[in-house]
Amino acid sequence: MNTFADRFSTTTAASQLRHAQKLAEEEEFDATMWGSSAGFGSLTKGVPTFTVPAVPDPTAFLRLHTDDHADPSCRIKIKHGTTTLAFRFQGGVIVAVDSRATAGSYIASGTVKKVIEINPYLLGTMAGGAADCQFWETYLGMHCRLHELRNRERISVSAASKYLSNLVYSYKGMGLSMGTMICGWDKTGPAVFYVDSDGTRLKGDLFAVGSGSTFAYGVLDQGYRWDLTDEEAQELGRRSIYAAGHRDAFSGNTCNLYHVKEAGWTFLGNYDISQMHYEGPGDVPGAPGGGYGYDIRVEGRNSSDPPEEAAAA
Amino acid sequence: MASVYSPPGFNFSNEIRNNFLLEKGLPLPKATSTGTTIVGCLFKDGIVLGADTRATEGPIVADKNCEKIHYITENIRCCGAGTAADTEFTTALISSNMELHALSTGRKPRVVTAMTMLKQMLYRYQGHVGAALVLGGVDATGPHLFTIHPHGSTDKLPYVTMGSGSLAAMAVFESGWRADMSRDEALNLVKAAISAGIFNDLGSGSNVDACIITATHTELLRNVEMPNQRVEKERKYAFRRGTTAWKNQTVRDLIVKEELTTVGAGPGEAMDTT
Amino acid sequence: MPDMVSLAQPQQRQFNPYADNGGTILAIAGADFTVIAGDTRQSEGYSIQTRYAPKVFRLTDRAVLAVNGFAADGNMFVKKVRQRLEWYRHAHAKDMPLRAIARLIQTMLYARRFFPFYVYNILGGIEEDGSGAVYSFDPVGSYEREACRAAGAAQSLVQPFLDNQIYFKNQVPAPGMAHPVHLPLSTVLSLVIDSFTSATERHIEVGDGLEMYVVLAKGSTAIQSLSTVRGIQEMTVTEDGERVFVIRRELKKD
Repeated sequence: MNTFADRFSTTTAASQLRHAQKLAEEEEFDATMWGSSAGFGSLTKGVPTFTVPAVPDPTAFLRLHTDDHADPSCRIKIKHGTTTLAFRFQGGVIVAVDSRATAGSYIASGTVKKVIEINPYLLGTMAGGAADCQFWETYLGMHCRLHELRNRERISVSAASKYLSNLVYSYKGMGLSMGTMICGWDKTGPAVFYVDSDGTRLKGDLFAVGSGSTFAYGVLDQGYRWDLTDEEAQELGRRSIYAAGHRDAFSGNTCNLYHVKEAGWTFLGNYDISQMHYEGPGDVPGAPGGGYGYDIRVEGRNSSDPPEEAAAA
Repeated sequence: MASVYSPPGFNFSNEIRNNFLLEKGLPLPKATSTGTTIVGCLFKDGIVLGADTRATEGPIVADKNCEKIHYITENIRCCGAGTAADTEFTTALISSNMELHALSTGRKPRVVTAMTMLKQMLYRYQGHVGAALVLGGVDATGPHLFTIHPHGSTDKLPYVTMGSGSLAAMAVFESGWRADMSRDEALNLVKAAISAGIFNDLGSGSNVDACIITATHTELLRNVEMPNQRVEKERKYAFRRGTTAWKNQTVRDLIVKEELTTVGAGPGEAMDTT
Repeated sequence: MPDMVSLAQPQQRQFNPYADNGGTILAIAGADFTVIAGDTRQSEGYSIQTRYAPKVFRLTDRAVLAVNGFAADGNMFVKKVRQRLEWYRHAHAKDMPLRAIARLIQTMLYARRFFPFYVYNILGGIEEDGSGAVYSFDPVGSYEREACRAAGAAQSLVQPFLDNQIYFKNQVPAPGMAHPVHLPLSTVLSLVIDSFTSATERHIEVGDGLEMYVVLAKGSTAIQSLSTVRGIQEMTVTEDGERVFVIRRELKKD
């Protein structure tokens, strides 16, 4: 019987949950929670413990009560919907994201920070479950620091992303939802890794993740070159997020832009997408001046009152 | 062969498709429901009907002061709970048919007639017409009070309640109703029953409507109690002219200025041929 | 004779430990104060379970937590947060700073990632730098610091109003003028009261009572505008630090 095998196997999801449950039952609050580690008390032992419902199939329980696959009837709404992108070029890594969180058709927030500052040299992006990304990337930050203390050198982007990938893979099938890009600069130069909750880990030059990624790719692929100047690259990131925010209902509000260089990342700014549409991003290097919308190209006219060139044609 | 003839009455041709879509997780758009407390009670001289005035769409209040006591004939009225459109159209239809019936028979309409018409119609549609009704009136045979359920079953009782607030209202009736009450006693009891629904049932709210029907006279007491007046806001929310951004503006002069120049001679004036 | 055919079908029973108890919570941060508010109605379906069930709780003199969603989970969660804050007090002889409480709440919520607390939290209070702050959470612990946030049954009615009146969304300032960055306490209190009276008008699960907690930074001048407020009650425990007040108002009961 499968159930029999399940009960005594140590590798299935069910047995992991059983293990987690046992830990939770044995001692919900341990001594580590008392000390200065109060915030992350439950994490300092290594693997965090989770409370699990006492049902035969906890994963099915979770799927029933959370909007795992955008089920609108469930009660617990986890924030979804995103456009994030990151690309490698001659001058480092550009990371650009939107700031919208949606729960069904409701815009739950327009001010989400979807770039997680893991440490001064590493950035992670957020797509999928907001809590999953925030929690595990913060957790990753702690382990990157431990790596530094143990090995007297910074962790490579490759190692950090693999740590995260292995971690989420150990929870595979249990309902985590993440699509993230780990970006940084290490001994090998600028690096971008895509990691998701299925366990995929890809090294690459250019990624866009989320519901608006197709729109972002459109602009990104069209304008991408390795030898982009810093200003051109920043403008490309901004312009790509604008395109996604403009066409994807689940992305929008504002764009956060980061640039990772050898000395670590810098935050370049927060740009309102509708302001970019009408007036442009403002006085920033690389911006063409004027809005990104096509109003500027049609001189504010339309088909019933066409601009002169079109009327002549 | 597909027929171009469309039979009268409701069209059920999308029923199967809609159920299929429902299973796929695409529910029908919500109909406005009158979450409602409606009541009726018998007293010495006739019938008192009562209703709250809240209409809801899910958890949202769609109408804070709707009318749920519908006209059937001058001496018969009907309170409706359930789907707002269904209660309004069924009562309106029966009201028309009652008028025609009265004209063709040459007699004053009876409450049982309206009750029978309503139950036959609701039974025919097997509960798909979501109307839960309290029908009351006084006719040649005396005062009558009925409840009619959406599937067509009826009850004849001295005091009745319906809608989501029916339990709260019935609690008041069960403790306070007596036979042969006076007009004022009955009206106060109905007010208390509706108020119980308004305050204890989330689907009911706002004001109390009542209708007193006696052998000689029908009196509709619209908003007889208003215990839930809107409170004044702390701030004024007037917006300065020019608050809303605009993309472009065109100003057109709508005053047409005409200048008339007379060319040639005016009418009636002889042509100058010199 | 044919065998008896069993008509018994396997019936699926599902474990549902959650309920929705309605209500709405709201928090707005000012320059040196924060207002955290919630209505006091607790309902299930069309029934009112109680007209007075607090949803807003004082945690420390500088932190107030509002919980909304499933009341049983909410009450248990507040109890557990308070327990952890007390342990922190015993270990460090001081109250936990607001941003640390925010992170604590994240880890506590995420520890139940596979059996979530059905609770939407809004944490309000004063940061260590003396500024007003609001942190909002989803049921599994994602959080962010904001200037204002509404959650619960009427969030989709209240949040657009706050976006317009606090963030001045869709409002163009008069020529040569700019929108204020922070609003004064008296304005914020009026906006909170109006939010709840409006939500009560149009949402059936909101009503009965309103509790507004005001957290003032040390030496805040906003204290002056509180002296005229009717029925205000001080909840402060420690001296010469941040101060916590509660203001109660009636809401419509239908």
